[in-house]
Amino acid sequence: MPTVYVNDTPVEIGTKKLNCVQAAELAGVLVPHYCYHPGLSVVASCRMCLVEMGELKDGKVTMQPKVFPGCQTPVKDGSVIVTGEYATKRANTPLAYDPAYKPGDRAKKAQADTLEGLLLNHPLDCPVCDKAGECKLQDYSYQFGRTESRLVDEKNQPPNKPELSSKITLFTDRCIMCTRCVRFTREISGTAELQVVGRGHHEEIDVFPGFPLENKLSGNVVDLCPVGALGSKDFLYTQRVWYLKTTDNVCGNCSTGCSVHTDTNKDIVYRLRARENLDAQGYFICDEGRWGYHYAQSPDRIIRTYTKAADGKLKAAPLGPAFPSMLKKLVEDALYVTGKKAVVVLSPFLTVEEAFALGTAFKGINKDVRLVLGPVPVVGEDDHYPKNAKGEHVPPAKFTIHAEKCPNRHGVEAVLKQLQGELIRFTDVTHHDLNFLWFAGGYREPKWVDMAIPDGWKAPPTLIVQDHFASKLTAAATVVLPATTPFEKEGTFVNHAGYVQPFPRAVKPGTEVRSELQVAFDMAGKKGLATVAPVRDELAKQFPQFAALAELKTTANKKVALATV
Amino acid sequence: MPAESEVTWVEPAKLGLFEQLYLPIITDGLTTTVKHLLSVGSRLTESYPEQEPKLPPNYRGVHRLNKDEQGRTKCVACYMCATACPAHCIDIVAAPAPEAWKDREKYPETFVIDELRCIYCGMCEEACPVDAIELTTLYDLTGLSREQMIFDKEKLLSVFDQTTKAGTDPVRTRSGALGPASEAPPV
Amino acid sequence: MPEFDWLTLGIVIFGVIAVVMPTVGYLTLSERKISAWMQDRFGPNRVGPLGLLQPLADGGKFFLKEAPIPRHVDKLFFLMAPAASMCTALVALAVVPWGPTQPPVQLVATVTEAGTPAPTADAVAKFEEQVVANKKEFKGVILPGLDIGILYVFAVGSLAVYGIILGGWASDNKYSLLGCLRSSAQIISYEIPLGMSIVGVLLFTGTLNMEGMIDWQAKHGWFIAFQPLAFLLFMTSVYAECNRLPFDLPEAEQELVGGYLTEYGSLNFGMFMIGEYTHMITTSLLMTVVFCGGWSLFGLENLMADSVIWNGVIKSGIILAKAGFFLVMYQLVRWTIPRFRFDQLMDLAWKVMIPLSILHLLAAMLVREFNLNNWVLTGVSVALFLSAGVLGVLFGKGPNNTPRRRVVKRQPELAAR
Repeated sequence: MPTVYVNDTPVEIGTKKLNCVQAAELAGVLVPHYCYHPGLSVVASCRMCLVEMGELKDGKVTMQPKVFPGCQTPVKDGSVIVTGEYATKRANTPLAYDPAYKPGDRAKKAQADTLEGLLLNHPLDCPVCDKAGECKLQDYSYQFGRTESRLVDEKNQPPNKPELSSKITLFTDRCIMCTRCVRFTREISGTAELQVVGRGHHEEIDVFPGFPLENKLSGNVVDLCPVGALGSKDFLYTQRVWYLKTTDNVCGNCSTGCSVHTDTNKDIVYRLRARENLDAQGYFICDEGRWGYHYAQSPDRIIRTYTKAADGKLKAAPLGPAFPSMLKKLVEDALYVTGKKAVVVLSPFLTVEEAFALGTAFKGINKDVRLVLGPVPVVGEDDHYPKNAKGEHVPPAKFTIHAEKCPNRHGVEAVLKQLQGELIRFTDVTHHDLNFLWFAGGYREPKWVDMAIPDGWKAPPTLIVQDHFASKLTAAATVVLPATTPFEKEGTFVNHAGYVQPFPRAVKPGTEVRSELQVAFDMAGKKGLATVAPVRDELAKQFPQFAALAELKTTANKKVALATV
Repeated sequence: MPAESEVTWVEPAKLGLFEQLYLPIITDGLTTTVKHLLSVGSRLTESYPEQEPKLPPNYRGVHRLNKDEQGRTKCVACYMCATACPAHCIDIVAAPAPEAWKDREKYPETFVIDELRCIYCGMCEEACPVDAIELTTLYDLTGLSREQMIFDKEKLLSVFDQTTKAGTDPVRTRSGALGPASEAPPV
Repeated sequence: MPEFDWLTLGIVIFGVIAVVMPTVGYLTLSERKISAWMQDRFGPNRVGPLGLLQPLADGGKFFLKEAPIPRHVDKLFFLMAPAASMCTALVALAVVPWGPTQPPVQLVATVTEAGTPAPTADAVAKFEEQVVANKKEFKGVILPGLDIGILYVFAVGSLAVYGIILGGWASDNKYSLLGCLRSSAQIISYEIPLGMSIVGVLLFTGTLNMEGMIDWQAKHGWFIAFQPLAFLLFMTSVYAECNRLPFDLPEAEQELVGGYLTEYGSLNFGMFMIGEYTHMITTSLLMTVVFCGGWSLFGLENLMADSVIWNGVIKSGIILAKAGFFLVMYQLVRWTIPRFRFDQLMDLAWKVMIPLSILHLLAAMLVREFNLNNWVLTGVSVALFLSAGVLGVLFGKGPNNTPRRRVVKRQPELAAR
């Protein structure tokens, strides 16, 4: 097996084509880097990843006399990598180096010198910089850099460029010219808005006049920026990052099912960041998902329960201890005789567990109840990237924004097929004469519900709607229940490709909100707080394709790769 | 925990005749107390409402938000004070600075200190990179309601005006720029 | 059988209480003032000029505050305790002379020197005559001529401990109970040297009557000169009897919250205070009367011997000034000597004071038996005191079982800093 030695630790690399940074990562050694990103091309421009290289041949190490950029240097069998942390992090017995050679000294000096160069013009305005706390420049300066600057001349202070984009601002003076953002717009989005202008110390990131950074993936440059130069205007100055609690979540805004980091503080979502997951979407997420969380904090959201009063108007109802049994009685009365004319709509925004729990609960009350897949919102067509200057897609696709704007159609369909053997769509039942309709929604756009309701639709006498926003359905409802967003619940989504992703809860739902799962527990007559684990166990027992879910009692920060549905 | 080798044991001193007789020692003590009793001039009590206490300049009283030469708040809304605050009594809402303020990007839209929750430890002052928040020698902080004791930005800035005008707390600030790290080193 | 004029008696009682209560009030003020001055403070100075109305304010507060009675206490005893404490103190004060007294009426001997019976009728007439003359005199004492005077004071004064024990017991509280138990142990222990120290005096005066004691001292000289050791023992015991520092263990607040006072508030607490301070007044007067010659002061008392009123005023002034000195002494000692530990307290009583008082009594008996000069007793007194000190130096176990202290050697580099 090909073996690489990183700070004397042998690492078997197999048949993989790796560079020094990746090989060192396999050995558990961090090679600091700014410009290198696994999803982008390698330019070796930041020089932060400088390492010492050599070769082990016949038990003897021959070191090269200069340092190499780790990101650009591939490794092969017998490669020896010595990083700047050799002296402090060495684990094994040393290789047979030349006695005159001092391992790690050159790399260490190279790192410190590189950092000094990067910091020459950096304004060091960390207190007002949003990146402070998660800034690679801060971290590496602390870890590898010098304690003070030797610069006596005035620093470059190029003006900020807030007009760079409607969503993104550029603090030009903080930039260290790693060009990750430029490469992203050229390689992933293909729109190539950003470029480097100027030379030497006067290099700046900029756009062509009149061509701002406006594409559907633009927000990724903020994630990519290792320093605080590119800032999301949405998040600008709202929170310091050390207040934020990060939850590894799944974006619920389209069927791609992107893995995201959800950053919250005191149960308010402040931002979403891309979470690297090559099985789901890769390294990036789209702007629609990134900035699409605001509906969860919208003042228009239904956050408490309403019941229809005698005058036909909806009145807020207190969520007392008697409410669940009252609701159950209402449902049971309605379902007692006319099971065939009763419909339970499970939207594709529900998690697999919720769909399963609700389905079994209603089937348990009356097995003739028809379970129906809710309206599936489709907006436009699948949007593939990269694109060329004309806006045409240039294959191969590196990122796709799906037209199906719901996260879990596959999962809910699978559950429905299992529960009643057939899949009924919402359009199939809108023309029926119904006695009872339970609508478990979760639609972040009320118009998607409205569009699915045909003109002249006759509301059934019992209509219970659980949704985020007021729509045609809630207007006709007997009971309106608040729903939970993907941030507010634990569960599992199955994406467009059948990839199953469990995710934990990021924020607590409102105090008056009874989650879908809890309502399902109420309908099934179960007491106590609804938790996902028993539902998963039951689900795994009944449906073999979800068997792996049962092993996942908790999903916090776990990378999941389950058997696809 | 020191090792036993580092420990010495001190036996109590043996009492002499005078101590055993009690009386000479008691007389000694009485002399001291009577001396104090008679030394009318050396009363240490400050008769507070009539006599204002002389506080050292590093006394930690009510906060103030310092202003720069143009009368703007020096604060750059970096949340360092709020982060350092052990009592969590500082609440800041940051915003991009007004267009006219060319020298900074961020400023506090609101800056609220709950003076009741504050423990007056001075961590905020220490944490501030631009010397914008300082504790003054105002010690007689009173209010008729909880709301009155929650100081907003205007109130904190008015404390600055009040204390600088009264001369009790001169501005101790060295610079209004961001931190010593951002300054050019001495040549 | 002495005759009582109920009206005068009532007026006197009322007058004395009317004087004692404010005195107690101002004693608290002086206590606070003196302690403040000793600690370089001002003391209470807000109520009235120089804070002189402070006792009034305190008294008003005591009356107006709610008297909390905890639910779990024994209500009857709980309320009885402060009353007992105050009443005993006031009753003990009754026989203490505070003015110009005359020697008590002597029974006229019915036997002549030679041993032949004298005519009884003469004796009775002479006695009647004396009684009438005696009644005409102004006396600074409520119950004049009580022959068991000092015994009565001791008897009633010892009852004060009942107030404390009752209070501590009735409070139904660990701290209170501990405080009252300490108190009973302490007071019973110190009763012994207290009584013993005074027996030497009684041997010389031959009477328990306090007017008689003053009379003896006016003629022969003060007992403090002849029996300084007795005075010292008496004074120490009296401090312990009054629960004054350094013997205020019953209310040692560092250990016992407030001791027997823990559950008391408002006027109940005030009554305890009044009791304590009245006790102080009584004992101060007692020290004056028994050891310091009462109203006698180197002939000064005879300045205006011809005017009854002025003579009375001067004598009262002298006796009260002496008592006042002892009261101030109480307060000086309070802020000078720290509180004893309980074992030290017991050691002092049983190992030092009781043996000393017995030896002193022995010496007094010998001096009396062989009719030696009174000043011999002074020498013996001092010698006993000194020898006790020497014995302590020779055989003492160090300062009252103080444990050795553990000291960590400083690191040399730390020390260099």
